[in-house]
Amino acid sequence: MPTYEVALMLRSMPKPELKTTLKRISHAIFDRGGIIRNIENLGHRPMPYKTSAHGLVHREANYFVFKIDTATKAVSDLKEEYSRDVDVIRQRVFKCEESSSNNCTLEEELLPPAYRDEVKKMIEVGKTQVNRFTYKFKYNSGLDYYPFQK
Amino acid sequence: MSLLRTFVSRYVLPNTYRTTARFSSTDTKLSSNDDEPVAMPNPYKKERRQCILCKLNIKPDYKNYRLLSQFQSPYTGRIYGRHITGLCKTKQEQVESEIKKAQNCAYMPYYYKDKTFLKDPKLFDPENPIRSHRF
Ligand SMILES: [Zn+2]
Repeated sequence: MPTYEVALMLRSMPKPELKTTLKRISHAIFDRGGIIRNIENLGHRPMPYKTSAHGLVHREANYFVFKIDTATKAVSDLKEEYSRDVDVIRQRVFKCEESSSNNCTLEEELLPPAYRDEVKKMIEVGKTQVNRFTYKFKYNSGLDYYPFQK
Repeated sequence: MSLLRTFVSRYVLPNTYRTTARFSSTDTKLSSNDDEPVAMPNPYKKERRQCILCKLNIKPDYKNYRLLSQFQSPYTGRIYGRHITGLCKTKQEQVESEIKKAQNCAYMPYYYKDKTFLKDPKLFDPENPIRSHRF
């Protein structure tokens, strides 16, 4: 089962209600055979832009991030269920990517253009192409008319 | 006496010196090679430059919207380009995708920078880009 991050924005409500909502959300995950790795609460704060959901305009939201392991097929099902939930304003699901260690290539990128690999490659490609600026149409090519606009 | 000395130095000494020099060089080669150039790494080689995120080993994350907002223009909310941020290609790509995620999740605004982050330390100077731009 791949790991997903479900970013949820819940409408502002008193704490006991929030508790039941979170329980409902997590039970939806458990019912589909998923597990919750981690729940992050990013707090209650004003949204950068207003969002209308379920016939109401929301300007503040409770931000939660669930880190869950669930079957890939269950994700769309979960999204559909949360979209029907009145307390969920907005929801996004992202796949967790494992961190790949790569070395910094800034030094190569700051070289002068002639020393950069991508520029060298471009020049090589350019040599195989017809140079539009110096290309001259040959009249002995079998065509008895000039095929381009003069 | 001085005339004689100049004569000796000009016509006699050079020849003798040349011969003795040749002998001495062969002698040193046989005896020891302490004076030869030593193989060593270039002492004047500059340190490898790294971008700020690679140096501090930070992986941009959409939940860390405070860091991401530092790569956003305070006037238009647009993401600064690689020639301004001074990041390497991979990190710049990651930053851009994470900013888009954060904006989509309503963590970060699209058209302005959060006013609580306006006084955050500057990671780069947009007025002095690495490569000049047309703005
Ligand atoms: Zn880097």
